Amino acid sequence: MESLLSFALALAVAPLFPGIILKVKAFFAGRKGPPLLIRYFTLIKLFRKGSVYSTTTTFVFTLAPVVSCAGALLLLLFFPLGVGPPLLAFTGDAIFLFYVLATGRFFTIAAALDTGSPFEGMGAAREALFGALAEIAVFIILILFFRMNGTLSFADFFASVRPISLTGTAGALLPLLIVALFMVLLTENSRVPVDDPATHLELTMIHEVMILDHSGPDLALIHLAAYYKLLFFAAWISLLLCPIDPARGLLNIPIFYGIMTLVYVAVGMVESIMARLRMNLVPQFILTSCTLLFFAAILTMGYLQ
Amino acid sequence: MHPMLLSLGIIAAGGILPLLTYRHFTLSRYLHASFTILGCLLGLYQTLAFSGFWSDISWRWLHCCSLTFSFDSLTRFFLVPIFLISPLAVLYSIDYFTNSQQSLRTTASLFFTNILVIAMVLVTAADNILSFALAWEALSLSSFFLVMYDYEKATTRNAGYLYFIFTQSGALCIFAAFGVIFATTGSFDFQGAHTLPESLKILVFLLAFVGFGSKAGVFPLHFWLPHAHPAAPSHISAIMSGVMIKMGIYGILRLYFLLAPDSLLIGETVLIFGMLSGVLGVLYALSKHDMKRLLAYHSVENIGIILIGLGLGMIGISLGDPMVALFALAGGLLHVLNHSLFKSVLFLGAGVVRKQCGHGQIDRLGGLLKSMPVTGRTFLVGSAAISGLPPLNGFISEFLIYYAAFHALQHSHTLFLLATLAVLSLALIGGLASFCFTKVVGVVFLGESRSGDEIAGEGGKWMALPMILLAGGCLLIGLFPSTFIELARLGLADCLTFAPEVSRQLSVVAENLAFGCRLFLLLVLFVFCLRMVIYRNKPVDTGPTWGCGFTGGTARIQYTGTSYARTVIGFFRPFVLIRETQVRLKAIFPGRTNYTNHITDIAEETVSRSLTQPLLLVLGKLRWIQHGNIQLYIGYIVLTILVVLLILLL
Repeated sequence: MESLLSFALALAVAPLFPGIILKVKAFFAGRKGPPLLIRYFTLIKLFRKGSVYSTTTTFVFTLAPVVSCAGALLLLLFFPLGVGPPLLAFTGDAIFLFYVLATGRFFTIAAALDTGSPFEGMGAAREALFGALAEIAVFIILILFFRMNGTLSFADFFASVRPISLTGTAGALLPLLIVALFMVLLTENSRVPVDDPATHLELTMIHEVMILDHSGPDLALIHLAAYYKLLFFAAWISLLLCPIDPARGLLNIPIFYGIMTLVYVAVGMVESIMARLRMNLVPQFILTSCTLLFFAAILTMGYLQ
Repeated sequence: MHPMLLSLGIIAAGGILPLLTYRHFTLSRYLHASFTILGCLLGLYQTLAFSGFWSDISWRWLHCCSLTFSFDSLTRFFLVPIFLISPLAVLYSIDYFTNSQQSLRTTASLFFTNILVIAMVLVTAADNILSFALAWEALSLSSFFLVMYDYEKATTRNAGYLYFIFTQSGALCIFAAFGVIFATTGSFDFQGAHTLPESLKILVFLLAFVGFGSKAGVFPLHFWLPHAHPAAPSHISAIMSGVMIKMGIYGILRLYFLLAPDSLLIGETVLIFGMLSGVLGVLYALSKHDMKRLLAYHSVENIGIILIGLGLGMIGISLGDPMVALFALAGGLLHVLNHSLFKSVLFLGAGVVRKQCGHGQIDRLGGLLKSMPVTGRTFLVGSAAISGLPPLNGFISEFLIYYAAFHALQHSHTLFLLATLAVLSLALIGGLASFCFTKVVGVVFLGESRSGDEIAGEGGKWMALPMILLAGGCLLIGLFPSTFIELARLGLADCLTFAPEVSRQLSVVAENLAFGCRLFLLLVLFVFCLRMVIYRNKPVDTGPTWGCGFTGGTARIQYTGTSYARTVIGFFRPFVLIRETQVRLKAIFPGRTNYTNHITDIAEETVSRSLTQPLLLVLGKLRWIQHGNIQLYIGYIVLTILVVLLILLL
C-alpha cells in the first residue's frame, strides 16, 4: 500500500523538481525566476493543444514519445521511492530497466532522423554516442553494486535488510560512486555541462534539438518522460546518501524528498556556475565518471572477497 | 527408416528437380520451393516433436571407412535454425530470382542451396572425423558456388576467391586438429578425444578454433564476410549469416564437449576473442556505407556475443560454477537461434531495397518506409531486436549472458577482470549496435528520399511473407522466452548435467523476463491508448519540417549515414583507420567541396601488408613454373609420384 502511495506521489511531484532547478539558477543570477509550478503549467498547456506533424514523418515519429514515456514509468515502478519496497521487482531488473531506457533512446533517435532535419540528425548522432558511453558508466555501477550486495535488482539494492549506503559495508567507496553517478545523471538527463536545455542555438543542443518537431501532447509526453528519468537518477543518489530505514515508517518520505531536493539544488548550482563543455570534451567528461567507477570496482577486489 | 533421411531426401529432390526443369523457369522455382519447404518443415517437426532417442545412421564407405551420423541434443538444437531459416529464404527466392534470362544459373544456385542445407544438417550430425570432414567440405564448396552467382562481376569473383581461401585454410586447421586426435587415439571416432593429454587438448582446441573461427567470422579472421555477403544474393546471405556461420560455433562447442578439457585457458581465449569480435565488429559496421556490408560486420559482432556466452560457460564449467555455466551457455545457444532470426529479416529487407532501388548505398537512399511499408516495419523490428532491446528476442539471450557475467564477478582476480570486461563490452556493443541501426533505419527508411528517384514499391508477396514471419518470431521469443530458453537448456542436456536447483533458477529468470517484457509492451500500449484519448477532438495539422528558420532546405541537407557515424568513428580512432579528405573552406563564398571517407579494417590491412604482399612477391618469382605447357605438367606429376614413392621405400 505504501509502495503504491509512494509511486503515485513520485508521479505527481516529478514535474515540481525541475522548477527547483530553475529557482536555484534564478537565485544565482539575481533574478526572481519563474514560479515553482512552471512545469505543471507547461504540461497543462501542451496537453490542451493540438499538434502539427511534418509531412516527412511516419508512425515512428509518433511512437517515440509513447515508448520513452512508458519506459520512464516502468523505471519508477521498479524503484523503491523513499518508503518500502518498490511495486515490482525481480532478480536482474536493473539490467532490464537500463535496456528499457535504451529502447526509449532508440526510438527518440529514430524519430529525430524521421523528420529529415539536419539539425535533428546532428543531435541524434551526439545523443547516440553519449548514451552509449553513459551506458558503460551505468554498467560499472551495477558491477560495483553486485560486488557489494550480490544482487541485481533495485529492490535488493535499497530496500533489503542490508541496503547499500554510506554507512553500510564498503561505504567508503560510495563517495566515488556518488560523484560518478551525479555525472551520469547530468549526462543522461541532458543537463549542463553536457547539454544546455536553455540554449538558443540549435547547433549547440543535443536533446532539445532532437525534439524540435514534436508539439502538443506528444511534446508533453516527452517532457514527462524526462522528468521521471531525472527523478529516478536523483532518487538513486538520495537513497545512497540516506537509505530507507523501516523503523522510521512514513517519516522516510519527507527525509527522502528532502535529500532529493538537495540533489536538484546541486544540479541547479552546477548549471549556474559552469558553462556547457565543448562537444569534443563531453566524451572525456563521461569517461571521467567511468574511470572513477572503475577505480572503485578495482578497490572492491581488495576487501570484498 | 530414419526420420531425418526422409526429409533430407525430399530436400535433395527439391534441389535436383529445378535442374531438370530449368527451361520452365517459373515451374522450376515453385517446384524447388515447395519441395524444400516441405522437407524442412518435416525436419523441423521431427526435431521438435520427437524428444526420445534417435538411432544413428551409419554406412560403410569404400569398404574401409564408416560414415556415422548421430543426433544428440546439441545437434538437434542446431537443426532448429537450419530448418527454420532455410525454407523462409527459399520462399523469398521465388520473387527474388525473376530474371528468366539467367534461368540455368538460377537453377544451379537453387541446387547448391539445397546441397548447403543438407551439408549443414550432416555437419551437425556427423559423429566421426571422416563424416565431419566430408560434410564440412560439401558445406564450404556449395556455399562458394552460391557466393559466385554474379560471376561476371570482378568484385563478386574476388569475394568468392577470398571466401574460398578462407574456408579452405580454415578446413586445413580443422583437419590438422583432427589429425592430432587420430594420431593419438588411432581411430576415426570422436569418442576417444577426451583421453588426450591436457596439453594436446589445448593444441587441438586452438587449431580447431582457428578453423571454426574463420568460418564463424571471429576477429581477426572475419574479413571474408564483408566481401562475400554483398556479393551473394540476399537470401543466400541470410542463410549464410543466419545459419551457416553458426556451424563454426557448433564446431567449437562440439569439440569442446568432446575434449572436455579442464584448463581455464580455453574458456578465457574464447571469451577474449568474443569481446574483440563483438566490439570491433560493431565499430566497423558503423563505418560502412553499404547495407549488406554493414550487416556482414554485424554478424561478426553477434558471433562475438555468442562467443562471450560460450567462453563464460566454459570458464564456469572449469571452475565448477554451474550458475555461470548454464546461464552463459544457454544464453549463447539462444543467441544462435535469435541471431538467425533477426539477421535473416535484416538481410532479406536489404535484399528488397537492393532489388527495388538497384543499389544498397545507405547515403543515397532515404524515406523508403513510405513506399515499402512491410519491408520498413519488419526491418525496424529486426533492428530493435539486433540492438538487444526489450521486448524482442535479442534482449533475452543478452540478458542471460549478462546474468552469467555478473555471477562470474564473484571469482578472484583474473576472472573478476575478465567478467568486468565481458559486462562492459556487452554494454558497449549494445549501445553501439543501437547507434548503428538507428543509422540504417533512420537514413534508409526514414526522412526524405535523397536522390529523389526512389518510388520503388515492395518486392512481391513471397518476399514480404518470410520477413513478416521472421519479425513475428523475434517478438514471439521476446514475449514467451520460457519455451525457448528451455529449448536451449535441452540442447545442452546430452553434454552437461546440471543440478535441478540451477535449472529451476534458469526457469525463474525466464519467467521474470517474460513478465518484464510483457509489462513493458502493455505499458507502451497503455500510453498509446492514453495518447489516442488525449488527441480526440484536437486539431492536428501537417506542414514541412521545421528548418530552424531556413526555408530553402532540400532532401540533400539531411544528415547522411556517414556524417551520423563520423563522431563515434573518430572517437575510437586507434582501432579504426580513417582515410578521409580534409575539407577546408578557402574563400568567403566557397565553391563545391568534396568529402570522402574510407575506413579500413585493421585485420584486413595487416594481413594484406604482412602476409599477402610478401607472399605475392615470393610467388611472383616462381611464376616460371606455370608456363602452360601440358607435357611438362604431366612431367611434374610423374616426378612428384616418383619422389613420394622413393621417400616411402627408403
